[in-house]
Amino acid sequence: MIASSFWLPPDISAHGSQIDIIIKYLHWFMAVLFVAWGSYFLYCLVRFRAGANPKATYRDAKAKPSKMAEVVVIIIEAILLVGFSIPVWAYYRSEPPGNDANPLTVRVVAQQFAWNIHYPGPDGKFGKSKPELVDEAINPIGLVDASEDPNAADDYVSVNIFHAPKDRDILVRLSSKDVIHSFAVPLLRVKQDAVPGMEIPIWFKAEKTNAEAQEMMKRAFALPASPEGEEAETFVKENRLRVTMADYGSVRKGSTLNAEHLKTLSAAGITSVELAPGFPVNIQCAQLCGLGHYRMKGQMKIYEPDEFEEWYASAGEEEVFDEDEFDDE
Amino acid sequence: MSSDHHAHNPGFISKYVFSLDHKVIGVQYTVTSLIFLFFGFSLMMIMRWQLAYPGESIPLVGGWLGKYLVDNNGVLLPEGYNALGAMHGTIMVFLGVVPLAVGGFGNYVMPLQIGAPDMAFPKLNMASYWVYFLGGVTMLAGFFVPGGAANSGWTSYPPLADIANTVGTHPFWNGQTVWLLGMVLLITSSLLGSVNFIVTIMHLRVKGLTMFRLPFFVWAQFVTSFLLLLAFPPLEAAGVLQLMDRAFHTSFFMPEGLVVSGVVQDQFAGGGSPLLWQHLFWFLAHPEVYVLILPAIGIVGEIIANNTRRPLWGYKTLVYSVIFLGFMSFVVWAHHMFLTGMGTAMSTFFQTTTMIISIPSVVILTALLLSLWQGSIRFTVPMLFALSFLPMFAIGGLTGLPLGLSASDIQLHDTYYVIGHFHYVVAPGTIMALLGGIYFWYPKVTGRKMSTFLGHLHFWPSFVFMNTVFFPMFMVGLAGISRRLWDQTEYVQGIDVQGWVRMSSWGAWALGLAQIPFIINFFYSAFAGKKVNENPWKATTLEWAAPSPPPHGNFAEVPVAYRGPYEYSVPDAKEDFHPQHVPDSQLV
Repeated sequence: MIASSFWLPPDISAHGSQIDIIIKYLHWFMAVLFVAWGSYFLYCLVRFRAGANPKATYRDAKAKPSKMAEVVVIIIEAILLVGFSIPVWAYYRSEPPGNDANPLTVRVVAQQFAWNIHYPGPDGKFGKSKPELVDEAINPIGLVDASEDPNAADDYVSVNIFHAPKDRDILVRLSSKDVIHSFAVPLLRVKQDAVPGMEIPIWFKAEKTNAEAQEMMKRAFALPASPEGEEAETFVKENRLRVTMADYGSVRKGSTLNAEHLKTLSAAGITSVELAPGFPVNIQCAQLCGLGHYRMKGQMKIYEPDEFEEWYASAGEEEVFDEDEFDDE
Repeated sequence: MSSDHHAHNPGFISKYVFSLDHKVIGVQYTVTSLIFLFFGFSLMMIMRWQLAYPGESIPLVGGWLGKYLVDNNGVLLPEGYNALGAMHGTIMVFLGVVPLAVGGFGNYVMPLQIGAPDMAFPKLNMASYWVYFLGGVTMLAGFFVPGGAANSGWTSYPPLADIANTVGTHPFWNGQTVWLLGMVLLITSSLLGSVNFIVTIMHLRVKGLTMFRLPFFVWAQFVTSFLLLLAFPPLEAAGVLQLMDRAFHTSFFMPEGLVVSGVVQDQFAGGGSPLLWQHLFWFLAHPEVYVLILPAIGIVGEIIANNTRRPLWGYKTLVYSVIFLGFMSFVVWAHHMFLTGMGTAMSTFFQTTTMIISIPSVVILTALLLSLWQGSIRFTVPMLFALSFLPMFAIGGLTGLPLGLSASDIQLHDTYYVIGHFHYVVAPGTIMALLGGIYFWYPKVTGRKMSTFLGHLHFWPSFVFMNTVFFPMFMVGLAGISRRLWDQTEYVQGIDVQGWVRMSSWGAWALGLAQIPFIINFFYSAFAGKKVNENPWKATTLEWAAPSPPPHGNFAEVPVAYRGPYEYSVPDAKEDFHPQHVPDSQLV
């Protein structure tokens, strides 16, 4: 999965390739500079060591090449800044482009240590929320009652699972109800601090569904020689977040690999399996937010547009706390 | 100004403990900060165990770390991890590197290099050290208060830091409040020091020592002092404001309507801004980066001139670059805040200034590299450290580019890429240079040289393991792993990079072992090292005109500066160095 160049995770967003290009160009630029400087440096150390050059030269060396190099560095930095970084940032920070008249607008309210995804429902209008109504068990964002604000009637709050369609602009109004968090989705090349007291808009468009992302991230793993023992335990532990991509007899597609599976596979004479993460599109918190910062994990569920509409139409009928399949251990 | 205390014969306490002598204070700063450096590094060695082997008991020390850090099985707790992380950052920066670079080297070397008998305000100097010491003790006290040490990061962003360590603890006697008190003391100490440095450099230079005859190290300290003087007060103020928020529920950084763990935070009036803290913090903390680097660059300049036996290339270019760097360091701070909701206009300003500040850095590095050209390079131990600074500082500087451009920062912000970047600047860069400085000036301080053999045994493993620790962090960061995670294997990308993470950890432990030869060398050579004369490196600057170790008052007779600082290998001269204090008539 790290096969994508420069160790970057796969990119499934519309704008991500522009960010990746800057990162790649920059690293090539850095590598060329470092190798050039480094070669000159090593040459000096060998050529001008006291043994080879017992008498130093008082006069400063003429520095035309180095001045040229500095000018080239300035020009390249200016090009990267003006030609790449500023326009990409302007695009990323703008409202969704007008060609997609129908963005999906969602509020994301971060908290210690969960992501509340607030959908406006069919009416497209968010109900109000009040801090004093917050009840961590049943009303995490403090949504008011429908009698007080009719817009709240069809609202839907999903905890830690961000359902979204692919190929449609998604506008997130990001906020936090306690401390600063940062909404980071590495596969979507999205990161934005959630600052309490502010509502910050960001937008993105996914170009792959979860299934397609899994396809991008699948990899063949050689099974340990014996289904028991330390090697096997390590294998299971280190792949606990991946699921099999195909049925292997009784090892069902979609299940997390465990020790039992290993025995079954070994008995069937299978020596290698293809694995991919069960939930490939992680939401991480990127800003220290307390002792649970490391486990402030959400998952994107990206559907085909029609599948999403189907889900969205029935979303209000489900329990507010929909943690279906979230616990994949 | 400073002559009144030279006459009497002080007793032990006033000579070695509450001393007014800049050299004793310099040594006090050096030894204290080295101890803090090793302590801060040890905290990281513990954290690296949890990262490499998540959820496994910490070997050796796990049993006695206490209930705020580890559970009954000696496994590091998430809040313990956060506490160690916050304290590691704070200790390394504010109790380790800055006091070593400025308080240690600046205090000891700078007055000697300008031919002064002492600092301009010796009592202020002593106060600076003891306030620093008190700040250090206060910081460490955090580990012993109910609830454990501060755990909101060395950046202490509110609202997290405003509400941290408040439940079930003493209103004042708790980790974050103690941290704030410690910071106020440390910043006060820096302010006392910086005023003293500026006045000393302006007023106590000996005859003939014009500003452009100052050693590069003095220039670096001069600019550093202005950064300290101008950048630190905003954080001192901010620290007091956060203290008020915590202790008296003012709302400087607290917006209204916050709900923490289901509890409405109505003890705060609200209306404050969490981003205000970030602006105040980074207005200090970006110049702070240059407070760390500039003295290191100064040291590297001194060592390179001495060991290439030729003048530093482009002395004036270097000086102007350092001044420009210092100036620009005040207008780049918000590049730490690209992802706080910044629009295009602001980000354009701050990424443009960030690209501009990279130019003097490139010029400085280029000048130091060009100084090697046609030199006669002696690979002494200090020179090895100074040379290793160049490529590693270059890596640190270059990897700042993708973070300084806001578009690529989207992916890399708050990941291990950032950790790799600033550690390359501060650890393999600055700390290696500072270690080189210790080997370089040790003979001046003690009259004895440190062991070359132990020096090599220290340098080579340190050089290798510095890179083993920090280089893998770039891969981990590119893979998208956020910093400050107690267990990065929660995420599938984290599992993929676990090999790199383990490599970093093993590198860190090996780096710890590699410091043993240095510790032995440092203490052993003080009484068993080879005795040397006052100028063992055949150097040119004024500190080498004083006896080793210099007596109280420094110079047997007040020196006069007859020339620039780096007159090495002057054509047609017999000796390859012309010290600043020797008149032309006495040169051979």
